[in-house]
Amino acid sequence: MTDTLRHVEPANWTSAVAVALADGFRHFDFLTAVDEAGRAGGFSVHARLVNADDPHLPAVRLSTEIPREPAELDSISFLIAGASWCERETTDFFGIAFRGGSDRHLLVPRTHGTFPLRKEEVLGARVVAHWPGAKEPGERAAGARRRLAPPGVPDPATWGDRDPALPPPTADDIAASTAPGRSRSRRPR
Amino acid sequence: MSVHSETPTPSVAHHSIELVEAECTSCMVCARVCPTWCIDLSSHPEPDASQPAGARVRTVNILDEFILDWSLCMFCGQCVDECPFHALVWSDRPVAAQRSRAGLVSGREDLRKRPHT
Repeated sequence: MTDTLRHVEPANWTSAVAVALADGFRHFDFLTAVDEAGRAGGFSVHARLVNADDPHLPAVRLSTEIPREPAELDSISFLIAGASWCERETTDFFGIAFRGGSDRHLLVPRTHGTFPLRKEEVLGARVVAHWPGAKEPGERAAGARRRLAPPGVPDPATWGDRDPALPPPTADDIAASTAPGRSRSRRPR
Repeated sequence: MSVHSETPTPSVAHHSIELVEAECTSCMVCARVCPTWCIDLSSHPEPDASQPAGARVRTVNILDEFILDWSLCMFCGQCVDECPFHALVWSDRPVAAQRSRAGLVSGREDLRKRPHT
């Protein structure tokens, strides 16, 4: 079953949810965000609503884009009380503020200080961890010289060993330098 | 408001990933592209037996181990999509529940593609 995608401007976010509810899509599935750094930039926010009268109808997936700064969107918790949980989770992981919603932390303690699912959050342990992909074809163990960067590890010039004279790396810089290498696949898509 | 075209539904359930050993050339692409680093494979070179006598000796890489840690796998499918030889495929066979995290590490025998039932 495929979803019906409805893309709206942020100013129309709550009214789009209200319209979907009025259309019978009263079962709230989820609300979450995607960090679009390195692509469109900013964040996209997504909410999925299933038809309560006929769940076999295609569900409605609403999406909108908001800037990185300020990362804000109107809360839909006044329409769907249960959405508050998802909004708080999205705030914890992405730092997006939902105007009119709850700002209580849910999963990430206030003391953590950063937003774990933003692309500028680097998994520092990976810089030193053993990467299974460091081996070359035909090797049983990795040779001394690492030839490819592992996914999720920014190159040192961007993050680990950055020239102190440069400003801190942006989310776009880190997203670009942590993307994995790709092969050419002949599978028709 | 606009309604975009719908995205296609996958035709096969994504309960786990299986390995078609005959197609695997140990090229390392799956291990390198996996975002959670859950694939670890090793291989060694051997002379290519299919070369005619007297031809220059060529080597092929023979797969030794293929390990997939299901406790790390997030079923994103990048390995399936990026394998140039279609040696990794989606399967209806679910990953069996285990009593320990170590039990979720599957070797090539566990990952071997089973006949469709």
